[in-house]
Amino acid sequence: MRLGDKKYLNLWREMTRAQFKLRDQSSFFGFLWSFLNPLITVGLLFALFSTRLSNEIQDYALYMLIGIVYYTHFSNATGASTNILYSMNALTRNGVFPKDILVAASISTHSVDLILSTLVCVLITFFYGTPITFAVLALPLVILVQIMLVLWVSLLLSSFYVFVRDLVHIYNVFLRLLFFLTPIFYGLSFVGALGRFVLLANPLSHTIIFARDILIKGQLFDFRDFSLFFAINAGMLYASYKIFKRLEPSFAESI
Amino acid sequence: MQKVSDHDCVIAISHLAKGFSKANSYRTLFRMLKGAFMRNGTSDVGFPALCDINLEIERGDKVGLIGNNGAGKSSLLRIIAGLSLPSDGEIEVRGQVTLLAALGMGMVDELSVEENVFLYGAICGVDRAVIKSNLQEIIEWAELQEFATAKLKTLSTGMRARLAFSTTRHIATEITLMDEVLTAGDRNFRDKCKAVFDDYRSADRTFIFASHDIEFVKTICNKTLWLDRGRQKAFGDTESVLQQYLGSTASH
Repeated sequence: MRLGDKKYLNLWREMTRAQFKLRDQSSFFGFLWSFLNPLITVGLLFALFSTRLSNEIQDYALYMLIGIVYYTHFSNATGASTNILYSMNALTRNGVFPKDILVAASISTHSVDLILSTLVCVLITFFYGTPITFAVLALPLVILVQIMLVLWVSLLLSSFYVFVRDLVHIYNVFLRLLFFLTPIFYGLSFVGALGRFVLLANPLSHTIIFARDILIKGQLFDFRDFSLFFAINAGMLYASYKIFKRLEPSFAESI
Repeated sequence: MQKVSDHDCVIAISHLAKGFSKANSYRTLFRMLKGAFMRNGTSDVGFPALCDINLEIERGDKVGLIGNNGAGKSSLLRIIAGLSLPSDGEIEVRGQVTLLAALGMGMVDELSVEENVFLYGAICGVDRAVIKSNLQEIIEWAELQEFATAKLKTLSTGMRARLAFSTTRHIATEITLMDEVLTAGDRNFRDKCKAVFDDYRSADRTFIFASHDIEFVKTICNKTLWLDRGRQKAFGDTESVLQQYLGSTASH
């Protein structure tokens, strides 16, 4: 991730390209397939909860779609990146290069989906009749913190997974739990003080709330909240990178 | 501890040792917890792959690495490449390293031949534009024109070795490690490779060749390291090391 180095920038680009090819998602239909999954979830949840909750939550379908899009990005990107040192084991074992580039490239391919999905959300907001304000211009910042979050989680998990082989099963259970511990189809006002604390301790809740503020309320997120969240994630990213680098020398022979 | 102080020394190894664990089961959280709470007394002693290796390699050296199967040649190359950690001792490597191994060459099965050339080039630090302008030539040299868009997994081991070697001709890393590259190819390929190696002989770059081909080592390498069951039998001038090596094999 030494971004200044042109050589590694080139490698990151090639690696991203390669992983796109491997996912076979370079086509338009590729994106469509990956967007189908969140769409189905939204449809199902809407059918289940709309009669009860659409009075309580403004633009309930859009509200859920934003939640699902960010959750899906988080779970897909961290899930695939956790496994990346194994799925690309020919390179992990035999390639002489910084292995964090594998993780960064894996997240890059998934983040293209996030950017496209966010654009779809903006389009839907437009057709929904919800007024779009200048706050939309801050969406790239939300995407940026989401990518930072996914990056540090993935750096930690991918490096631990080399040494703890059942981590992937544990993480899949965690991801399933996370779906319910994130305000995706319900809101903060639905839970008590303890629930609220749990939801706000979950970093994914914050990016979703930032995005919803912009698209549904049409207003910018609270700047202090955002700065604090950004700082925390930057700190975690730095720490995770250090841990990854610490463990990296034994990746090739442990896989 | 020996530091690289001499300007021209690119690899310094002192008292290097490497042991491999004999444990063969995956580490899982459950087994780690079990291991932490229950001491079952059987400690994993492992087996030694390398033992007390000491050498210095200077810039521009062409080093032959000889020894029987299991002598530790590949292990040593992987440690120099930074893909494996020594269990003991010191190693210092100056400059970017490329490792080219006939078996396990760092290419991706599911990608096409062309895509692999780009990726392999990028791993070795070569820009896409450079590879792009040489792509035709790389594939033609490897004699893989018909397979350019085929997936790598459809290629034979020899074809893969050709492809990797052909790509490395355009890479100019300071240190290049080659592990049995010639063994995978046919005679025609070996002759072509040797012509390339002849060009390298005068180059400023450093090479280490693990090889069973004594004739090849004799013609290309100025220094030779002879390993036997993980121990350093001899290191120095190719001629004198080969004399000792051939002497020992003849007496058996």
